[in-house]
Amino acid sequence: MKHVLGVSLGSSQRDHTVQVSMLGEAIELSRRGTDGDLDRAEQLIREHDGKVDAIGLGGIDVYFFARGERYVVRDGLRLMQAARVTPAVDGSGIKDTLERDAVRYLLKETDLLRPTTRVLMVSAVDRFGMAEAFVEIGCPIVFGDLIFSAGMPYPITTLDELADIARRILPEMAKMPFTMLYPTGKEQEREGSSARFQEYYDAADVIAGDWHFIRKYLPPRVAGKWILTNTTTAKDIAELRERGATHVVTTTPEMAGRSFGTNVIEAMLVALSGKRPEELGHEGYAEWLKRLNLEPRIENLQGGSAS
Amino acid sequence: MTQATADDLYAALDLFRGKVNENQRLRAMNRDWNRDIAVVAKDLPDVEAWIRMRAGEMDWERQQCGDPHIVLTAPADVLIGIFKGERTPTEPYLDGSLTLRGSQEDVLRLDFVSLMIWGE
Repeated sequence: MKHVLGVSLGSSQRDHTVQVSMLGEAIELSRRGTDGDLDRAEQLIREHDGKVDAIGLGGIDVYFFARGERYVVRDGLRLMQAARVTPAVDGSGIKDTLERDAVRYLLKETDLLRPTTRVLMVSAVDRFGMAEAFVEIGCPIVFGDLIFSAGMPYPITTLDELADIARRILPEMAKMPFTMLYPTGKEQEREGSSARFQEYYDAADVIAGDWHFIRKYLPPRVAGKWILTNTTTAKDIAELRERGATHVVTTTPEMAGRSFGTNVIEAMLVALSGKRPEELGHEGYAEWLKRLNLEPRIENLQGGSAS
Repeated sequence: MTQATADDLYAALDLFRGKVNENQRLRAMNRDWNRDIAVVAKDLPDVEAWIRMRAGEMDWERQQCGDPHIVLTAPADVLIGIFKGERTPTEPYLDGSLTLRGSQEDVLRLDFVSLMIWGE
């Protein structure tokens, strides 16, 4: 059996272990949250280095992207470098392909997405492929990077402006403690029912991107809207159902009641391939994704006809 | 290296105010951000400076004015370097020479303001 460990800065309340079979290979996927404790995450990685087949880094990014530029996140790199033997990945190797393809799939295969669909993407520098895919379709879009990470009421509406702001801010911001930029640990468990920034949710048909950012200011009612994200648990789905969301689409498959982060899926591909991430490269990942035939998972929350 | 003076700090604050207020995009970003920021130069104990952010516009004065939302403390040359755009706040913040007391969101926002003006 292959063993994949996901080490996350997120809440330990979301920990879980599942065994799955992929292409005839048994894999144990285990997720361990460290409640925002970077030192503990580093220690966990060191303890398991050389003992598991691949490590996924969750609740943190190692890289941000905008228009061909890559920004290295200092804390993320520290965790990645803590693994000296076992390959450690943050999901960025497959995110671009997987999420870009998910948007194209939704356009082609469902009634959920049209060129007129209004999109709120809570953060785009961690999902630039998804952002570009929505823009390619022509969807009116708001990138909420400043809103959701810094609380600034400033909707970014073009990829050019996103890239410009990223160029000014990210080289320095990426050096800051990651916990300042992103909800980690107990912050992830806090009820998201603030009316703050509700106007941006109200103005959208689909809320897309990182689940913890989506939840950060999630209004009490999101009736008629659908959500494109991943890492949701059964509890998260129930919460969205109560708030009136019509569908949840996850870009990663559901396993034992929840969708894993792209970091765990990338780690799983690395474990299955038996190769290091740099050997796999973009084409290698694309080939493995094709072999696994991962399609977005669409859950109808209100019991109507499936799209 | 010569010791930074109060006048150097005041000149840097004037420059910073000009840059903040002429930047329409930054003003739009901060339109909801009404904050008082105390600027404390550790090596100039008699010098006081107070930044007011109101609806995206910045002003400052040479006195302390009550309870600030954020307290910015550093040696004068560090503060001057930040306000003049000669250095980013990140490195002095990470090495401890700059301390920022306030809510995490306010601290982050102040960083954003500086980077939006000077970052490239």
